[in-house]
Amino acid sequence: MTGSMKYAWLGCLVFGGLLFGGTQDSDINVNTRYTVDAVSIFGKGWKTTFLENHSDQAEQTQKLSTKLKNDLVDLIGHKLNPSVLDSLAQRIRKELSAREVGHRLLRSDTPDHVQVEFEVTPARGGVDLNVTQFSYNSRLGWSGAGEAGFNLRQHYFLFGLVSDGEFLPERYAGFNVRYEDRHLGSDRVALRFQFESYHDVWNSGTLEAARIDNRVTSDPYRSRENFQPSLSVTVAKPLSLEVGASFQRFDSQIPGLPTEAANAVFTTVRYHRQIEGAQNQQDVDASYAMRLAAKTLASDFSYARHTARVRYHIQRGKHSVTDELWGGLLAGRAPLDDRFVLGNSTYLRGWNKYELDPIGGNRVVYNSVDYRYGPFQAFYDTGAVWDEGQPATARHSVGVGLRASILSLAVAFPVRGGHIEPVFMMGLLY
Amino acid sequence: MTADARDTSISRRSWLLAGLSLFLYRARAEERLNPSYDGDNLRVSAPGLHFLTGKPLQRLKDGATVVYLAQLGLFEDAGFLRPIRLAPIDRFAVSYDIWDQGKFSVTMLNPTPRTSPNLSAPGTEAWCLENMAISTSNLTQEQRFYLRLEMRTADQRDLSSVVAGPGISLTELVLRLGKKAGVDDPKWIREAGPLRLADLVRMPGRGPRNG
Repeated sequence: MTGSMKYAWLGCLVFGGLLFGGTQDSDINVNTRYTVDAVSIFGKGWKTTFLENHSDQAEQTQKLSTKLKNDLVDLIGHKLNPSVLDSLAQRIRKELSAREVGHRLLRSDTPDHVQVEFEVTPARGGVDLNVTQFSYNSRLGWSGAGEAGFNLRQHYFLFGLVSDGEFLPERYAGFNVRYEDRHLGSDRVALRFQFESYHDVWNSGTLEAARIDNRVTSDPYRSRENFQPSLSVTVAKPLSLEVGASFQRFDSQIPGLPTEAANAVFTTVRYHRQIEGAQNQQDVDASYAMRLAAKTLASDFSYARHTARVRYHIQRGKHSVTDELWGGLLAGRAPLDDRFVLGNSTYLRGWNKYELDPIGGNRVVYNSVDYRYGPFQAFYDTGAVWDEGQPATARHSVGVGLRASILSLAVAFPVRGGHIEPVFMMGLLY
Repeated sequence: MTADARDTSISRRSWLLAGLSLFLYRARAEERLNPSYDGDNLRVSAPGLHFLTGKPLQRLKDGATVVYLAQLGLFEDAGFLRPIRLAPIDRFAVSYDIWDQGKFSVTMLNPTPRTSPNLSAPGTEAWCLENMAISTSNLTQEQRFYLRLEMRTADQRDLSSVVAGPGISLTELVLRLGKKAGVDDPKWIREAGPLRLADLVRMPGRGPRNG
């Protein structure tokens, strides 16, 4: 009997559901007579509010898709339709990887108006496996990085493997481990400890240039290790600050020579804002970073490294334009891995970093304009990398490419006289 | 104090027993299902049954619609294992007015939707029970039977996604339908019996009902 009753209930649930499908929630909920005037999403210590002509977004909801945000904003100004709230909550849960998203109605300040609130309960824990970089450059070869990790509530533990020949004067390969507490008393404060250990391989041109210019930078090293604690604080919503320290050790290529240390403090101020209009979406990302190494920190190197970067992106339909401006200045004698490099798959595409400056420079200026229409891409890069006291020579490159989802394929041409050899690039971009 | 006076006094133990009995009687009365008979159908009332409570009430106060599924059954035995008749399952969709607090609206979804707005919580609970009935057409006047009311909440998410969602896998369907009622899906059961139609006071009829 118990079994038959159970199936009777289940049958009723389905059949009743079919009938209920005809009588919509919007017909039977007494609150459907009220108008929605605000929608908000909130979690512990943060809240995003959507109003009719304005949104006040917390960092946690910035990764929500434009379509979902538009669907949330579409609730505003209309009579409440309770039947869509469940599906919206499920979409928020999916996009934020949350454990649970509930919803509720609140009385608004205006009579007969209501506010819809979605409450986000974060996931307790999870395992993550990411390929963070995978690219091929016909001049520089393959580069790749990946990390695996898990989290217990706000505590994240990550282990990564890297082999990179793109961003530094050297090719380095090794591992890094990282611990992050992303909620140190508040969602605005995060604490991070990172340890890296890499083995370095040098281009013969770099070794030769370093031997000649040994006063401006370190000798090439066999391996390096870095321990870096840091603290990130979201000061105001678009503005964040990171402060930390870096303790680097360089093992000499010559056995028996003592290790060198580059101990530094650093800070980064970042402004990141997304502006979503009815027709277009804009993204402004600006940052200034300073790294200061001094003998007082028991460092063998004494230098100050300043970088400033501004990136502006606008998208309208299938058209998008991105402009990125980057400038850097190094004062003092810094190790090779802190020097500036152009001529890779990201900066001044089409040029070879070893031809431009095999040991990098202590001055850099760079600008890139990238236009995309759907999957098609065209770009123009210009920049200069040089050492203080030397003349700066501006280089230019142009290129075209295809991007489908995260897969990218591009060919870039350096703009110069004589023989032009294009550089082919492909990879997964994240 | 005389010996007679001592004999007629009530001991503290008796007072305690009387108090406990009264408490148990009241508790039992609150659990009781009160049937009434209109000549064709049995109807019920249960003054102690409060289903607008706990998590369902919280969901209502959050603006959601809560659907209650309720069923009356007639059984031959006190163990409620041998049914004589099971009434169709009634579905009541309840919502809570955010702006007129304390007021509920209830819609009986079958056979044809009927709504009663602006009800208090006890009024809503009573309205649901008043609109339930079970036919006694296959009971004789002298036949002993037991009456059972079973009520639970439907999971609104399941209903909307199973019925109106864009698609659902067979595995998910089996998992959702097969899951046991948890703390989020409370269940209320009230029972009465043994009863005989001949013993029930006949109330004015409400018209035939095919229960």
